[in-house]
Amino acid sequence: MNDDENAAKKRRTLRSTASTSTSSLATGTTTRPVTTAVKRDSLAAELERDPQFSAARRRQRTQLFTNTVSHASLERQLLQAQTSRVDIETKLREKEVQIERLERDRRHFADKEKEEREAREREQEERAAEKKRTDAELKSLRAQFDNLQEEFADLQSVHSQRMLSSTQEVSQLRALNTSFTSQVDRLSADLDSSQAIASSRLDIINSLQDQFDELQAAKDTWMQRTNEESDMGVVREELKKQAEYHRKLEGTNAKLTSEVTILRDRQTSVEVLREQNRSLELKLQYTESLRDKVAQLEAELEASRTEREQWASNQAQSSSSLPSTPSRNAAPTISQTQTLTQLRLQHASLLEEHGSTLASLRTLESTNASLSDHLSSSATQIKQLQETIRELGSTARKADTRVHLAEREVEFLQALVKSYESEEVQKEETTRDERDVGRIKELESLLSEYKSTLDSITTAPPSPSKPSRETLDQLAQLRSELEECQKENTQHIETIDKLEQELFELSGEIAGGRHVPPGKRILQLADNPEQQWFDLRQATMDKLREENSALLKRLHDLESSLPSANTTTATTDESSPNGDGGLVPRASYDLLQSSLATLEQTLAQKEKRLLRLQQVFTSKSAEFRDAITSILGVKLAFYPNGQVRLTSIFDLDASFVFQSTGSSGNGGSGVGGNNVKMQLVAQGEGGPQDLPSMMQYWIENEQCLPGFMASVTLECYEKAKMSGAGDPNTSV
Amino acid sequence: MATKQANRQAITLKGSSALVTEFFKYAANTILFQREVYPSDDFHMVKKYGQTVLVTQDLALENYLERILSQVHKWLLTGSVTQLVLAIISKDTRTPLERWVFDVKLVEPPADASTTRESKPEAEIQSEIRAILKQIVSMVTYLPVIQEPTVFNILAYTNESADVPAGEWVDTDPLAIEASKSQQVKMRSFSTDVHRIEAMVAYRYEE
Repeated sequence: MNDDENAAKKRRTLRSTASTSTSSLATGTTTRPVTTAVKRDSLAAELERDPQFSAARRRQRTQLFTNTVSHASLERQLLQAQTSRVDIETKLREKEVQIERLERDRRHFADKEKEEREAREREQEERAAEKKRTDAELKSLRAQFDNLQEEFADLQSVHSQRMLSSTQEVSQLRALNTSFTSQVDRLSADLDSSQAIASSRLDIINSLQDQFDELQAAKDTWMQRTNEESDMGVVREELKKQAEYHRKLEGTNAKLTSEVTILRDRQTSVEVLREQNRSLELKLQYTESLRDKVAQLEAELEASRTEREQWASNQAQSSSSLPSTPSRNAAPTISQTQTLTQLRLQHASLLEEHGSTLASLRTLESTNASLSDHLSSSATQIKQLQETIRELGSTARKADTRVHLAEREVEFLQALVKSYESEEVQKEETTRDERDVGRIKELESLLSEYKSTLDSITTAPPSPSKPSRETLDQLAQLRSELEECQKENTQHIETIDKLEQELFELSGEIAGGRHVPPGKRILQLADNPEQQWFDLRQATMDKLREENSALLKRLHDLESSLPSANTTTATTDESSPNGDGGLVPRASYDLLQSSLATLEQTLAQKEKRLLRLQQVFTSKSAEFRDAITSILGVKLAFYPNGQVRLTSIFDLDASFVFQSTGSSGNGGSGVGGNNVKMQLVAQGEGGPQDLPSMMQYWIENEQCLPGFMASVTLECYEKAKMSGAGDPNTSV
Repeated sequence: MATKQANRQAITLKGSSALVTEFFKYAANTILFQREVYPSDDFHMVKKYGQTVLVTQDLALENYLERILSQVHKWLLTGSVTQLVLAIISKDTRTPLERWVFDVKLVEPPADASTTRESKPEAEIQSEIRAILKQIVSMVTYLPVIQEPTVFNILAYTNESADVPAGEWVDTDPLAIEASKSQQVKMRSFSTDVHRIEAMVAYRYEE
């Protein structure tokens, strides 16, 4: 595409330069070409004017001819020169255009570079600041990390110690546990053995029971009697018990009755005491009356005293009337004194009597009180005793009734026994029965024994657990210790979790590449894709920069030479092509060269691929054609105009040319299409004799080319076969 | 007994290193395909680990990966490589966009020799690797879409004492992502009897 455009451009520019050059020639900047043109014109004119030929003129003409020839060659040279000049000029213009473009690019690049430089400076500053910051951060992080690691190590050591201790403890506990379990096992084994014994015994019992049952079943008839006998035994025992109880009751009754007699005696004594009391009370009443009498007598005494005093005073009064009073005192009447002494004596005896009665009263009162106490206590005792007697009486009554009942039952049973015995006597099987009974009794005793042993065994298991109480306590203690250990362990696990979280965060730091573990090197393969990419980028950048600088330099040069160029444009135009590296910088040329090289490389690759494809295609098409030839017996030849020639391999003269008709008229592209019809357009000289009729039939009537070709092939084959059996084609 | 065990250990280390190296190859290829660092046409499908994996056909890239992996294999054998990072970098700005980090850890042998561990069956390891590769594929759904053209680099974190082929391998900066714009996701891990590989991706994320 580009080449075409360039060629067109070149052509255009050539045309224009040619016109300018011809014009410049016409103006006569160079002398020689003009003169030759004039000469040629005049000579031609003369030649045209005078067609007559002379010898002189012929010479002249030959000369002229040589002249014209030389002139023509010169002109050709000139034209060549001109064209070359035009070429160069066009090149120059192109280069100028390119320079302009490059200058634009350069300006653009310069701006970009400036921006970039600024940006880079800024970036560098930022980077430096950042680096400082990151360094500081890194330092602190490292320190932190170290601390954390130390801490972690400490914690780990603590943890391991604790783990060790806990594991030791756990192992100890486990050992203990195992010992206990062994003990338990032993005990359980014991239990099992005892249970086994029990079970065996039970089995024995069961077997015995079975035997017993069998015996029972066998002796169903007299079993009832034995049963009754056993019942009798029970009844007897019961009776014995009852009798014992009765005896006991009687004992208690006797005891109680004796008590009751004692109590009755007491009661009688109480009665006596009561009577005494009553008599004493009567005496007291009497003493009361005596007291009243005494009081009366005293009052009488007082009255008599007062009377006596009155009397004495009266005596005195009478004596005063008499000469001497003392005689009056000694002069009381004997009867009076006597009565007085009597009275006095009486009084003293009465006083005495009063004191004695008072004392007896006091004693009686005290005894009365004690007796009343005793009486009340004895009354309550009597009440209690009466209650107990009542109870005993009721129980005795009950027992009596029970005894009566039992006795009645016993009588009944005895009667039954007697009846059975009589029956037995009748049956005369006493000896056997006795044996059986003895055996049954034996068995019963055995059964009872087994029952007792079973009871002892069933009650036995709790006993062995008793001694393990101590161990159980120990076990509980150990369990509690184990729980504590487990708690501690969970705490440790929590701390471990925390530390792991921390570790994850720190590993995130490492994963983010922000922290490099101490003592580690970070390595990369020197030749890695990243490096390659950035190297490549740098290289292109460098190249561009180089080119840019070269272009800048070129621009500068051009600018500096601009004033002179303004004055003489023609000189610059001419001089510029002379400088090889002057027009285009070497760098851009290199760049272009390198890009050209890469493009050429890719082009070569593509061409190679195309060639390979073509080779593949040709080989495949040859294969295809061979296949067609060997299968259908026709050789195919494709023409570039889309026609196909078919030649029978049995008759090389029989060839037909077909052309496709239809939507795609020309070209072989339509051959493979489904809607494309082939048309017979030409045929060779040879072919079967009745070819016209075949054509008539197959092509015109049936319009079936395959049928036509098949019949042609058949005909040709037969013909070839007829003509010579040694035809090499037939052997195909 | 001891010599036998030692032998077994040596064989396991070699096998494990080969396995890990192979995993890196497929992981790197998967990342490069999924993150569209190279055009999709460059990749062809290969059956590996019981699933289809895309592997590059670019000769230069193949060669580059091959060189890296052979060296990594050597380092794995000596246990001097601790981390491998596949960094995806913007072509225009040269800023790191993603860092796919693979931590290589040596599995500590059991403290007491009496308890011999049972070796991990290969099928299990393969299923773990498959899970990681699938996770890498699924990562695309929530990693930010990369609009700009990118280029990648592989960094190896080694011990100071590691043997480094001079000239071929050079020290470099870690291509860190800024702390304020970095986010990371921990991925699955897989382990052989000798190595444990923990994957993680840190990416640049700007709201």
